[in-house]
Amino acid sequence: MSETTFMGVERDKIDWKPTIDYAKCDYCMECVKFCPHQVFEVRESDAIKLIVRNPHNCVVFCRACSKTCGPDALSFPDKNATTQKIKEIRKEMESHD
Amino acid sequence: MIENYAILPCNGLDKCAGVISGELAKRLFENGKNEMICPVFYRISETKYNRIAGEHALLVIDGCQTRCASKLAAEKNLKVSRKILVTEEAKNHNVELKSNLRLLDNEKALIEIMLNDLNKTEDKVIQTSDETNTSFHFEYETFQHGKFIFRVPRNPEVYFNENDCWVYVIGNRARIGVTDFVQQNLSDILYFTPPEIGEEIDQFGEAGDIESSKSVFELISPVSGKVVTINEELVEKPEMINENPYEKGWMAEIELTDFESDKELLIRFEKYFEIMKRKVEDLNG
Repeated sequence: MSETTFMGVERDKIDWKPTIDYAKCDYCMECVKFCPHQVFEVRESDAIKLIVRNPHNCVVFCRACSKTCGPDALSFPDKNATTQKIKEIRKEMESHD
Repeated sequence: MIENYAILPCNGLDKCAGVISGELAKRLFENGKNEMICPVFYRISETKYNRIAGEHALLVIDGCQTRCASKLAAEKNLKVSRKILVTEEAKNHNVELKSNLRLLDNEKALIEIMLNDLNKTEDKVIQTSDETNTSFHFEYETFQHGKFIFRVPRNPEVYFNENDCWVYVIGNRARIGVTDFVQQNLSDILYFTPPEIGEEIDQFGEAGDIESSKSVFELISPVSGKVVTINEELVEKPEMINENPYEKGWMAEIELTDFESDKELLIRFEKYFEIMKRKVEDLNG
C-alpha cells in the first residue's frame, strides 16, 4: 500500500505522476518492471499498451522510472511548482485549524 | 585530467547518444593515458579486458537510459569508479539530441563540454578529499522487522524528507544521505553516482543515485544549496552505504542557501520513525 498523504497533504491533491510520450515510447516495459508501486498498467490487447493506471501511487518527487526509459518517454511535473503547491496547501490547512 | 582509467563505452551504433559515447571514449583513449574496453569484443573474449579493468579505475559511458555499458559492467562483476550518461549530460547542457548517427556541431560541442567537465571534476575531487573534518555524531533508535534492523538517528540536528533521505545540519553546512529503509530495500548496493561538486541543487532535486542489482534509487535532496564535497570513498566502496548509511555512507555535503524555508517540508525523528515503520510493515506484510 502507498502512503495516502505526503507532508500531511492528501496525496490526491498533489499533481505528481509520470506522463508517457507515446511518440517516443517503444513499449519496452522497463518502467513497469522497475516501479514497485504499480503506477503503470500494461494493456497487451490495446493499441496503447501502457498507461499510468495509479497516478497517486507515484512517490512524490521520485523520477527513478524515467532513468530506466531508453527512449526518454517519461516526464514529470515541475518540481519547484509542486513544492510551492504543497506549501500553499499546508498553509491553507493550518489556517483552517 | 582523466588518466589511468579503463574506459567502457556502450558504443551503441544505432542511436546518436551511443555514437557520442563511443566518440567520447575514443577522445579519452587518444591521450595515451587510458585503456579502452570494446563492449562487443568483451562479450566473446573477456581475458584481456578483465585484466585491464582489474588494473585501472573504470569509467563507464552509457549513451541512453538503457545503460547497456553499466549492465555489462555489472554482468562482468566490474567495480565502477565513475559513470557518465550521455542523454543526461545533453539535458544538463541544453543540447538536443536527434536521430543523426554522424556527429554534427551540436554533438561535437557536447563532447568537448563533457571532456572539460570530466577533467575539471577530477581536479576538484582531488582538492576536496580532506574537507570533511566536521564532527557528525549519531544516536539511533532501532526498529526490527524479521531479521532486518532499521536505525533512525534521533539527534536534533537531523531532519528527514518523506523520500527516505536525511540531512544533518551544522550551521550553514549539511551532510545528506539515505536512511536504513533505502539500503535494506535495495540490498547490496553496487554503484554510487555522486552529484557534481559545485552543482546547485534545489530542495527535492536529485543529488546523485545509488544502484543495486534490484533497483536504482535517486537521492532526493532534503535541502537546497551548493554541493561542496562528496564522499569519494563511496564511489570505490558503495557497500559502505549498506554498512551504515548515516556515518560512513553519507553522500554529499551541501552549503545551505535557504534552510529556514526548506525546513517547512522536512520532518523530525519522531515522525519519520513512524512513517518508516509503516512503510516497512506495508512492504513486508
